[in-house]
Amino acid sequence: MIQTQNLTKKYGRTVAVNRLNLTVRQGTVFGLIGENGAGKTTTLSMLATLTVPTFGRAFVNGFEVCKHPHDVRMSIGYMPDAFGVYDDLTVTEYLYFYAECYGIKGALARRRSVDLLEWVNLQNQRKTYVNALSRGMQQRLELARCLMHDPQVLILDEPASGLDPRSRIELRRVLRRLRELGKTMIISSHILNELSEVSDEIGMMRGGELSAVAAVDALLDQTGAYRRLWIQAAAEPESWHRVLANVPQVLEYALRPQGVEMVFSGLEEEQAELLKRLIQSGIAVTHFGEQPTDIESLFLRLTERGVLPHDAG
Amino acid sequence: MMRGNPLLLKEFRQRMRTRRAPLVIMGYFISMALLTFLLLYENVQGQLTLLLPARGEQVFVTLGLLQMAVVVFLTPAFAAGAVSGERERRTLSVLLTTPLSPFTILMGKVLSSSALLLLLVVVTLPLYSLVFLFGAAVPQELVGVFGFQLLTIVLVAAMSVCWSTLALRSGWSTVLSYATVTWMVLITGLFGYGLQYAATRFPIDYFLLNWGQFLLRLNPLWIEAGLAGAVPGHFARDSLWFLGFYGSITVILWVLSSGRLRPQSYAFSARFRHGDEKDFE
Repeated sequence: MIQTQNLTKKYGRTVAVNRLNLTVRQGTVFGLIGENGAGKTTTLSMLATLTVPTFGRAFVNGFEVCKHPHDVRMSIGYMPDAFGVYDDLTVTEYLYFYAECYGIKGALARRRSVDLLEWVNLQNQRKTYVNALSRGMQQRLELARCLMHDPQVLILDEPASGLDPRSRIELRRVLRRLRELGKTMIISSHILNELSEVSDEIGMMRGGELSAVAAVDALLDQTGAYRRLWIQAAAEPESWHRVLANVPQVLEYALRPQGVEMVFSGLEEEQAELLKRLIQSGIAVTHFGEQPTDIESLFLRLTERGVLPHDAG
Repeated sequence: MMRGNPLLLKEFRQRMRTRRAPLVIMGYFISMALLTFLLLYENVQGQLTLLLPARGEQVFVTLGLLQMAVVVFLTPAFAAGAVSGERERRTLSVLLTTPLSPFTILMGKVLSSSALLLLLVVVTLPLYSLVFLFGAAVPQELVGVFGFQLLTIVLVAAMSVCWSTLALRSGWSTVLSYATVTWMVLITGLFGYGLQYAATRFPIDYFLLNWGQFLLRLNPLWIEAGLAGAVPGHFARDSLWFLGFYGSITVILWVLSSGRLRPQSYAFSARFRHGDEKDFE
């Protein structure tokens, strides 16, 4: 498991991470989202023993990162957001090198590399030079590298950044399989949709602080109840206000030149009722439809409204 | 050693797999061979019936000094980007999350970057044996000259790797490494020799003489010339002084570099580790 207690990192006057209290239970996947500069990479860097906290504590697999960095390193597989690969090494040599760094040699290293390359679908690239692989393949190779010493905890910083859609899908497949294996993972991204498929819990970082934490299941349960509707019609603003202000399911709405956009908390029957009321009040509706749910804005809205647990800090 | 240091094996694989390594070795050997034959021919004046060991000694000294100058100036080219290059290629952070100790990482980098230079020195051994046949040097001199060259390469490589760790960027580490080599070869040589020359003009001024000797003892070419028997003096003692001086600098840089690689090692106090919220506020 991973736990932080008031974890703080300060660079001069800039506070990169501010009193972060975070718990990732064993065998669960925690998604950390936030904009660039929110403090995600610094947090993961402290957990990976690369950065010393200014104050506070962090525990990974039961070891404190400052007191027992060696034990932490043996327990983690770390994938940085921007990683490079060694030139002039084949895929197999690359994995052997990292295996040897962890004291894994001989038959065990060979067996693990064969299994892992098959697992990340790179079995046909064993003798290919690492620098000749595509970005997506290098990303998967990095995941295999992280797993060479069979760590309990995986720390993945923006694993999908710079990948094309096909590679993203392939990466998600691999991450889901890792989740099934019971690995504790903390994954960062600035795109929530990317994390919601593989994570058990989502935490949002803003300005170095963890502003909200929510279980993904709870979040997804709400996506059905909170819909974004787009109604196209030519009507005066007063007409819109008269109708929409009296519909309790309309949580918020914004008038646009060609219609109205709203967040609607209701089922299909209630949507039909809204459409009926609009027509009855003389608004000539030319389009009435649901828009894809933006899970990120939903997450923010729900945590701000207190619909989801807001147990950060 | 390679079995105990995975980084060394990996670096050897990477460095020796490129075309550059054999080309550098072959080019260096051919250049040195041509120079040796030219010097030998010039020394015997085209006749082989009368061999003069004193002239052969000149060849031995010239070769030794030239080789020392070349390898000392080549070493930073191979070592100055050892760690900063990893940082720039973004492979360092992953390497630092492995359980490899800073000592293992730095030692792997030092030995791998000096390996090619050591190979350059070793491939010229047959050329020295030619000089040896002319009776120009005794075995002890040959061993002393070669041993000193090898140790100097490792020292310069170690300092360059440390600069590479501390300077963050390869450009800066290259500048610092070459500044170190310039100090070792040019500054100590010019000022040391200049002060000694001035001392001959003002014989009662021991200050000039002492500083001149001090600086020359820090010059690898001076020590090398002494070990080859070209200049009089206690060069076995001087070489120990040389190694002790630069060895101490290397140890200091090494400790600082280890701290740069693993900052946790230097978070001595509990306050630093766990922090004091009041101080932070």
